[in-house]
Amino acid sequence: MAGSDEPARSPARGSDEPTRSSARGNGEPAQPPARGDDESAVAAPSTARGDADGEPLLEVDGVRTAFFTDKEVIRAVDGVSFDIRRGETVGVVGESGSGKSVTARTIMGLVESPGRVLRGSVRFRDPDAVRRFASKFGGRTADVSDLAPEEREGAIGEDDFVVVEERRDGEITRGYVDVVRAPEKALRKLRGGDIAMVFQDPLTSLNPVYTVGNQIKEALRLHRGLTGSDATREAIDLLEAVGIPDAGRRVREYPHEFSGGMRQRAVIAMALACDPEVLICDEPTTALDVTIQAQILELLRDLQEERDLAIMFITHDMGVIAEIADSVNVMYAGEIVESAPVVELFERPKHPYTRGLLESIPGTQGRDERLRTIEGEVPTPNEEPTYCRFAPRCPKAFDECDRVHPVPVDVADGARDHTAACLLYPEDESREAAVSLHESRNGERGDSA
Amino acid sequence: MSRWGYFLRRLLLAVPVVIFGTTITFLILRAGPLDPVSAILGPTGSPQAYNRIQENLGLNKPLWEQYIDFMVSLFTFDLGQSWVINPDTDAYDLILLFAPRTIWLGFWSVLIALFVGIPLGFYAGLHPNTPSDYLASFGGIVWRAMPNFWLAIILVGALGLSGPFGGAWINLGPQTNIIGPPDLGFFSDPLRLLTAPGDTWPDFLAALKKIAPAAVVLGSASMGNEMRIGRTAVLETINSNYVETARAKGVPRRSIVWKHVFRNALIPLVPIITGEAFLLIGGSVIVETVFGINGLGYLFFQAITQGDLPLVGSLMFIFILLLVVVNILQDFLYTIIDPRVGYER
Repeated sequence: MAGSDEPARSPARGSDEPTRSSARGNGEPAQPPARGDDESAVAAPSTARGDADGEPLLEVDGVRTAFFTDKEVIRAVDGVSFDIRRGETVGVVGESGSGKSVTARTIMGLVESPGRVLRGSVRFRDPDAVRRFASKFGGRTADVSDLAPEEREGAIGEDDFVVVEERRDGEITRGYVDVVRAPEKALRKLRGGDIAMVFQDPLTSLNPVYTVGNQIKEALRLHRGLTGSDATREAIDLLEAVGIPDAGRRVREYPHEFSGGMRQRAVIAMALACDPEVLICDEPTTALDVTIQAQILELLRDLQEERDLAIMFITHDMGVIAEIADSVNVMYAGEIVESAPVVELFERPKHPYTRGLLESIPGTQGRDERLRTIEGEVPTPNEEPTYCRFAPRCPKAFDECDRVHPVPVDVADGARDHTAACLLYPEDESREAAVSLHESRNGERGDSA
Repeated sequence: MSRWGYFLRRLLLAVPVVIFGTTITFLILRAGPLDPVSAILGPTGSPQAYNRIQENLGLNKPLWEQYIDFMVSLFTFDLGQSWVINPDTDAYDLILLFAPRTIWLGFWSVLIALFVGIPLGFYAGLHPNTPSDYLASFGGIVWRAMPNFWLAIILVGALGLSGPFGGAWINLGPQTNIIGPPDLGFFSDPLRLLTAPGDTWPDFLAALKKIAPAAVVLGSASMGNEMRIGRTAVLETINSNYVETARAKGVPRRSIVWKHVFRNALIPLVPIITGEAFLLIGGSVIVETVFGINGLGYLFFQAITQGDLPLVGSLMFIFILLLVVVNILQDFLYTIIDPRVGYER
């Protein structure tokens, strides 16, 4: 539990801690009382946070989000799983239509009709948040801390979305909030307050008829109860924190008076207003030119270091991913086809799709060569996959690819954190053995649907 | 602030517009086939009498002199006297007599459009593709498609004395007939509505009931318009990125609708709403005629067919002023609602 396996980051976190907990205190006066006296320093929130370092802050587990149209059911996200830890940036790459943005919206609980999350869970594991939600939504909280691990599953009721897994002296130290099952009322608390999002187009993601300050203050009022001049001061501080000069004047200006880069900074300030634990960036730099793009990435990195943010970064730009991500998930037609730490992925890409993506970056081949591309386009995932969705475009496809749906497996024995959903892997097995491994895993997966 | 600078410039630009409009009015009146002298004289007058009257009215003076007289008197609000319709009566008095009925009619028809059309459109936009949306949208189109004159005649037929619902309508609330001008006596002392409600409210209600069918007819087209444009505007805003950003911020739905959607959806509605203020003036001639309301539309029509030049000129001048004021009001609303207005980019 007490895993402080990343000592390098602890000073930054330590210095950030006081401001963070004071900010929390403003917003939620209800929750911190019973802490402190009888508990040793081990149980203090900062260590609870330290605990969490070992395990993910956000677990996306087997999520399937589908859109129901008159014609067909489109599985925009089909069984996606990944984790995000504190201070870590997880990149999600893929072509348009691969389900990146829908994944982000699923995590935010923003999927709207005709879309629906069919299965899976998004578990937010911040102990602070679990405590808050457990006290506010007691009726929908399942306390499984006394139960043996195998009994836990059954003890979680249909309606429960807060799960308490561990208590120390009555204080919740481990548990999660399931975003997928959370009611709208809880989602509103979660959004912005705990999980914030920055959208693709800064030019249109601010409301044109209200001042930038007004829109930041709206978030401050909702989650921290700040109003009036306190809120204004906080908004100015936030704008300064994201590098907007002359923030005192800018806070009273309208979005159209900001340049594109400044607007994205303002949007980031708005997202950070309530000190979220997780920041989801949905192509935040796509609409910006390259110099501004670099500045925004720099800003995100600084903010992450300062606040120990967990960032999920969506983009289709491999260059941006290489720059900002710690680990990368490559998505294709609603599924994660390869997942690896960033250096590993760029040095040893395994899935043919990832290879194709990397080869199609201009300048990676010789001068005179034509730019290599992946022929064809992403298919619409509108049925249960019994085959590899990439097979029609895959240069390495073989007969089994049309028959067996690949599942994520370790690319080789002992390959740490590197998985690929391709029948070619694990590569140290014979092809027949690999295919039958995928087949048998498929069976397990299908049952739980 | 340049928003208000923009508004001030708009205000100044209105002056040449008024001058230009009045000039055109003069030219059309003089160039047109209007002959006020023979209208006054009747078919049996002698040429001598004709010349005498022409001289009296100043119609034999050079055109530029007449133009200057015309402009100066209008811009000093000296509206002159009626020649034909009601000889030797001040045009001002005539307008004061006829205008309240039209204003009363226009006021209620604009109100019906505003308070039925826009809420209905917003409701439909917030619940797109539901049965209630289909009902509202379909109703809006049907309502929009019914021509004024047709609907007016149908209503008069149905609610008139000999109509199938005639009796029911007459006895509904205060007793009034469907045809005829409303009695707006309480207008002369509107404060009495507050000080002596017992005496004046029945009059008020009677006047309201009297005008209601005409107002429904006049407001129906714009009601359908506002409904449909309101629906589109809401749909467009609710799917915009900033609404999604607001949702991602955790803003509750009610506040999203009222703060983020409502104000943005109003922007395309402003010109539609102000455009309807013209109902106060122009669109009402047919409806006024069918319902027998002697309003400005009726007066204007009579004046123009009978060649009552001063009256026509004065009415036109007032219409132009109203139009310009409504346009300025529209710009004012824009500057209030949309901060982007007025910036040169």
